[in-house]
Amino acid sequence: MTKIFISGLGNISSLGNSPDILFENLEKDRRFFKYYPEWKKFKGLKALVGAPCFPYDISKALHRKMRRSMSPMSEMAYLATLQALDQAGICLGENKPNSHPFKADPHRTLLVIGNTAGSPLFLDSFFRQMIEKEGPEGQLSTSFLKVMNHTIPTNISLALGFSGPLLSPSSACSTSSQAIILASELMKSGLYDMAVVGGADELHPHVVSIFDIVQATSSNYNETPEDIPGPFDQKRDGIVVSEGAGIVILETEKHLNKRKGTPLAEFSSGIYRCSGNHMTQPKASDMADTMAKALELANISPSDIDYINAHGTGTHKGDHEESDAISQTFKGENTSVSSLKGHFGHSLAACGAIEVISIIQMMKKNKIIGTRNLKNPPKNSGDINYLKDQEVKSIDYALSNNFAFGGMNTSMVIKGV
Amino acid sequence: MEKADVIEKINHTFIENFEIEPERLTKDSKLFEDLELDSLDAVDMIVHMEQDLGIKVDIQKFSTVRTLDDVYQMAYELYSEKNLQ
Repeated sequence: MTKIFISGLGNISSLGNSPDILFENLEKDRRFFKYYPEWKKFKGLKALVGAPCFPYDISKALHRKMRRSMSPMSEMAYLATLQALDQAGICLGENKPNSHPFKADPHRTLLVIGNTAGSPLFLDSFFRQMIEKEGPEGQLSTSFLKVMNHTIPTNISLALGFSGPLLSPSSACSTSSQAIILASELMKSGLYDMAVVGGADELHPHVVSIFDIVQATSSNYNETPEDIPGPFDQKRDGIVVSEGAGIVILETEKHLNKRKGTPLAEFSSGIYRCSGNHMTQPKASDMADTMAKALELANISPSDIDYINAHGTGTHKGDHEESDAISQTFKGENTSVSSLKGHFGHSLAACGAIEVISIIQMMKKNKIIGTRNLKNPPKNSGDINYLKDQEVKSIDYALSNNFAFGGMNTSMVIKGV
Repeated sequence: MEKADVIEKINHTFIENFEIEPERLTKDSKLFEDLELDSLDAVDMIVHMEQDLGIKVDIQKFSTVRTLDDVYQMAYELYSEKNLQ
């Protein structure tokens, strides 16, 4: 059986623009949610809070011809990809600044990075102009290149000079976990030795509106975002939309050993599946089946899991169903559970990868981060140990969940090394 | 608008949108060789010229221009024709 390892991490997020800064801010129990009074101009929008990523400057890092087709999601993913490649010590293409002695074989390397629905920023400007000018007059040639579904990996391939296979899976909030799982499956099939995988999304009032419409956003603490209850809290009132990019490098054991690379964690197993039940209403039994299958694929039992990184977005229904699913799957185990979305918000297509990065940082530091602003865990919480605070603990195995609209359920098992 | 104003607007596009240093904008600069524009840039250059000068630029005609001076000349002619009408 081919083993898959993770050898590089990179992120841009609302808690910092590297895995170390991200974890430092998790350890310090920070959140940088922001009140956007200017969103009041959007009639009917209730949520006026978002979590923007830390500032970055890509203008000097890339030539104009590389940047002109990039929206912020491609910029963030590009910077995260560079971080991950640098940590792994891998050169993906011929272009600087990604230059390491070890060159990835483009015939044996995958680039798999997704997003939810193209750049909301440029979708907005494209259709706004189309409507105002009653036609395409004045549109620039690069507009579509920022909103097409595979905008991120194509922009990265261009920027780095990568000429191998490229995919852009898209399943909203489970995009990057699906990307990781899909890439690992293709690698296990023997077709590929390594993969650069993840996801990215932009914070934009359009995106917030999508969740607002289905009553899934936090809107009771707009002017005091510090007070927004954490996921699983009895007073939780919804999602805080965030943005960012999360990228990980996957390698087969053989490839990693051959090039004498350093593993950060093992990607034991993962599964993505759809429920076939409902587009927006999650169901505990589907989530439980997904978690159980991930454990089965990893050939471990619930008692082997030291930590569950929940999807936990802060919605009433989602957190409730996930709690039930964890109770069903981990009955009697009292497994430690937390969601990090109380810290960095919900970065949609990026969250799965950013959460894997956070788990690997927790493994490195032997410290589990609790759920921020979780004051009153759900009543009848069964066998779940909802972590409110940090817990010093070594993690051999962690389970990470991500669920998404469309009935998407994903679970991954990460093993420490 | 005088020709100098047309030139200024075109140069502004090259500096702001194509990030070309002002000192490289000489009359005999070749668009594709010296200023490193490509086919996507040519499409966008036409869009900027049309928006900034209120003219209509035929892409076939634009494909015949070679130097920056050719662009100035074409833009000023189109602008003058339009304003004579």
